[in-house]
Amino acid sequence: MTGNYGHRLEFGTLVTPVNAAPDTPVALARRSEALGYDLVTFSDDPGQPAHLDTWTLLAWVAGRTERIHLAANVLTAETRPPAVLARSTASLDLLSGGRVELALGTGDHEPRTGLDAAGATGGPARADFDALGESVDVVRAMLAADDPAPVRYRGAYHRLDGASAGPLPAHHIPIWLGGTDPRLLRLVGEKADGWLSTLDPAGPDAVRAGNKIIDEAARAAGRDPAEIRRLLNVSGRFAETRQGFLHGPATGWVEDLLPLVVEDGVGTFILITDDVATMERFAREVAPALREAADRALPAPLPRTAQRSGTVRAKRRPGIAYDEVPASLTGGAVEPGDIAYSRVRSTYLRGGAPGLVLRPRTPAEVADALAFARAHRHLPLGIRSGGHGISGRSTNDGGIVIDVGALNRIEVLDEARRLVRIGPGARWTEVAEALAPHGWALTSGDYGGVGVGGLATAGGVGWLARKHGLTIDHLRAVELVLADGRAVRASDTENSDLFWAVRGAGANFGVVTAFEFEVDEVGPVGWAQFALDAADPAALLTRWGAAVEAAPRDLTSAIIMGPPRLGQPAVAQVMAMVDSDDPATIVAQLQPLADVAPGYDQQVVITSYASVMANASDAPHQAQGEPISRTGLLTRLTPEFAAAAARLLASGVVYFFHLRSIGGAVTDVDPDAMAWSHRNANFHVTAFGRHRARLDALWDGLLAEHLHGTYLSFETDLRPERLTEAFPPRTLARLRTLKKRYDPDGLFRDNFAITPDTATRTTS
Amino acid sequence: MTDYGHDLLFGTFTTPTVQPVRHAVDLAVVADRAGLDLVTFQDHPYQPRFHDTWTLLSYVAARTERVHLSANVLNLPLRQPAMIARSAASLDLLSGGRFELGIGAGAYWDAIEAMGGPRRSAGQAITALDEAIRIIREVWAADKPGGVRVDGEHYRVSGAKRGPAPAHDVNVWVGAYKPRMLRLTGRLADGWLPSLPYFKNGPAELVGMNAQIDEAAAAAGREPAQIRRLLNIGGEFSPTGRSLLNGPPEQWAEDLAGLTLEYGVSAFILMADDPATIEIFAAEVAPATRELVAEERARTAR
Repeated sequence: MTGNYGHRLEFGTLVTPVNAAPDTPVALARRSEALGYDLVTFSDDPGQPAHLDTWTLLAWVAGRTERIHLAANVLTAETRPPAVLARSTASLDLLSGGRVELALGTGDHEPRTGLDAAGATGGPARADFDALGESVDVVRAMLAADDPAPVRYRGAYHRLDGASAGPLPAHHIPIWLGGTDPRLLRLVGEKADGWLSTLDPAGPDAVRAGNKIIDEAARAAGRDPAEIRRLLNVSGRFAETRQGFLHGPATGWVEDLLPLVVEDGVGTFILITDDVATMERFAREVAPALREAADRALPAPLPRTAQRSGTVRAKRRPGIAYDEVPASLTGGAVEPGDIAYSRVRSTYLRGGAPGLVLRPRTPAEVADALAFARAHRHLPLGIRSGGHGISGRSTNDGGIVIDVGALNRIEVLDEARRLVRIGPGARWTEVAEALAPHGWALTSGDYGGVGVGGLATAGGVGWLARKHGLTIDHLRAVELVLADGRAVRASDTENSDLFWAVRGAGANFGVVTAFEFEVDEVGPVGWAQFALDAADPAALLTRWGAAVEAAPRDLTSAIIMGPPRLGQPAVAQVMAMVDSDDPATIVAQLQPLADVAPGYDQQVVITSYASVMANASDAPHQAQGEPISRTGLLTRLTPEFAAAAARLLASGVVYFFHLRSIGGAVTDVDPDAMAWSHRNANFHVTAFGRHRARLDALWDGLLAEHLHGTYLSFETDLRPERLTEAFPPRTLARLRTLKKRYDPDGLFRDNFAITPDTATRTTS
Repeated sequence: MTDYGHDLLFGTFTTPTVQPVRHAVDLAVVADRAGLDLVTFQDHPYQPRFHDTWTLLSYVAARTERVHLSANVLNLPLRQPAMIARSAASLDLLSGGRFELGIGAGAYWDAIEAMGGPRRSAGQAITALDEAIRIIREVWAADKPGGVRVDGEHYRVSGAKRGPAPAHDVNVWVGAYKPRMLRLTGRLADGWLPSLPYFKNGPAELVGMNAQIDEAAAAAGREPAQIRRLLNIGGEFSPTGRSLLNGPPEQWAEDLAGLTLEYGVSAFILMADDPATIEIFAAEVAPATRELVAEERARTAR
């Protein structure tokens, strides 16, 4: 008797993959899902022509089910090269949304009927187990795609010579080994995540003996035997009265199976049946009763959700109560040992190593996440929508990240008023695509990968800014969860001071769960990209600025310049959007821009706003390190500013210098209407460098005197003056008062914290 | 002029990228709904940026209703022929007869060897493919008496049970360019599946290759028309005609009808990774091409 190992009790079915009526095993799998089974499995006998190929069937069933997990029971390892098997498994795991488990075995060793060139016959030989062990090693190495090193493996049976690992699966795919040979059991103890066997009708003695061998081998390999899930295929018959072991009423089944859970640690029962009635009865009468009986019989109830393994838990960071994550969030939570971690740890421009990423799907779950964050005030807290924040620390080192990417709905509320409701996790490319069929657009930023939440609480300087204003100028209401967990709505008529603050300083006040925007009618637009001679950067900037300031509001433009490149001509990229579908208007408005310097290349197209915003990759962010940037707002692009900018560029310290036009409709709004108050700014300037101190020194010395205010979204300098540049005194005073009311303890502090007005230490 | 007279097929060749995960699935669904005949994916099992092609084909088959599916083309060296046969028959049974077997001898031997596969010379690879196709056809021949026996240099099957038989006569299409592979195609295959961009001198190169296939077919006692000529094509839709398969849909139809009537191509598989291209190909190019070919065939039959 080894006792229970503390795994969630799970139930599955084992279906025969007959091919005479190929729909039958598929229907049984779907029935298993509908009945609430955790897992459906199919036997694999490659020598059996009456069966479907198990892998093909698993992939097909993945396409016809939504929730249930899938496995072979068990896959004959030697008929598939392990490296190919690993990729296939990862692929199916990705396609199915993380529903594939891998059970491997040596096959039944009937005469192999010549399926392989070796033509092995007879019972399993030592070589079969050695080869199986090597297959496990190869599969694990190939699935560990977060390690970029080519996979080399020199086994007696399997050799890899520099194969590329990957793809990275959607979830941690456990490897279970199936069989009862002591050599296989030792292999389970040494390297598997689970042991799968079929219950001997004579009783559980073989399970006990097997567990003993596995546990000893695990301990000898330095592993905790509790890491290894024990899965058992069982079969039986329901009858009115008890006739024998697993032959009788459901209560009898529960009595028979309970000791296997309590005394022998079985974590998964897989019912061998192709009979729907048996499947239903087991699901309805045995499984729930067995769960309850086990909870009563064991010292503590078994967990209701999947538990993380010791190797995952070993990577946890200090100071986080991982086991107290609210139940609503455990499914989507990602911690450093999880397979999904490499996909969520970093952002677009910043490498990170957070201790925990919470991924709420509803406003209530956002409140749960904030409650957890309140209990961890000693740690950094990042709020992430699209992960493009430069100032916003939407990743961190050892702290908590609340990723609202799942709150990404886009819906039209009122067609006549062009009122649209958008979740913070939607990205601007998706917003543009959703609005295009209506003939609408909402000016956003210049990159489609940016998330709605971060940008629409900060400002939103985009390609339609001069024509249609800032993104936040279109905001009519928000719903947000405050630091204390309250969900509130804010608009001009409800919590209007909060609504004022959210538009420009939202990161300090809560997590917005829905935005309501009034969007614009925008038809086809002109879109231009010029490559211009930048040999005289000061003259170029001055002329570009003058052309933009003189242009009609239809036109919004940006210019990108870089450091001098030895032996190569200096080239500036100029982009511009003209909100018009008339070729003559577009050309007339673009001509002055094209004329500011001799051109190397130009491209002008009539396209849609959505096409211009369709510039984002769907790949997970993989940045490393910290971005180093400075930013500010400019009222006029004077020759003096241009000369200073030219000196900054000549220093070589800046690798990316970016100016974009504001002005136009942005100036129509009252500076006091919302927290973003620099309504006289005509340009937004940003520089990225590689050295913090050198960039700060040059920026402060050369550019600062020309700037009036700043747009915090692009700022990485953490000195407190940045806050006073972002918000003029009257605005900042009002923000401090509101901060005291809505977030007095400063839960939201990792994106240019405004301190409540009780404290005055920030502005020294 | 060699028109082999087959009904025309139109399909897609979409990159089986793992990022975004469902890119290939979504575009296959677009092709299925748009009424195309065929969805195909390249197969490079050593490439971690791609889905496993077999897994993807099986999953896509479950998410589509009418369209036929094939690898373009399946990499033999990292798969066992008897397993290919049973898997193909299984997928054909599950999908109600929608699977076709595009297969090739393999390439990129360094990468195959790195994955634990064999390194084969060009000659060995062709011999192995010949053996594999024989094994596959033998496994599918479920009604023939006795077990499968193929005693090859690369694959040896001694008495494996036959079956399952697929739901329909699964076509074996071979990707081939060199004389020995073309001869194998003429001798053994149901179709020839090259890529147009591979031909430096354009479609004119099809003439000589068709002749080699025809000759090998005749030598094996087969009608050359038993071998469908498929072609992977790339192109661009643009408002004005610029070159072959670069122009408006009407021009594409003329170009493709020319390829059918002059070079015998009866299946056009378009390299496409966006829904708009697939929809134009299905809605505008395919019907117009079919019409042009039908008119011309009717005219010459008179």
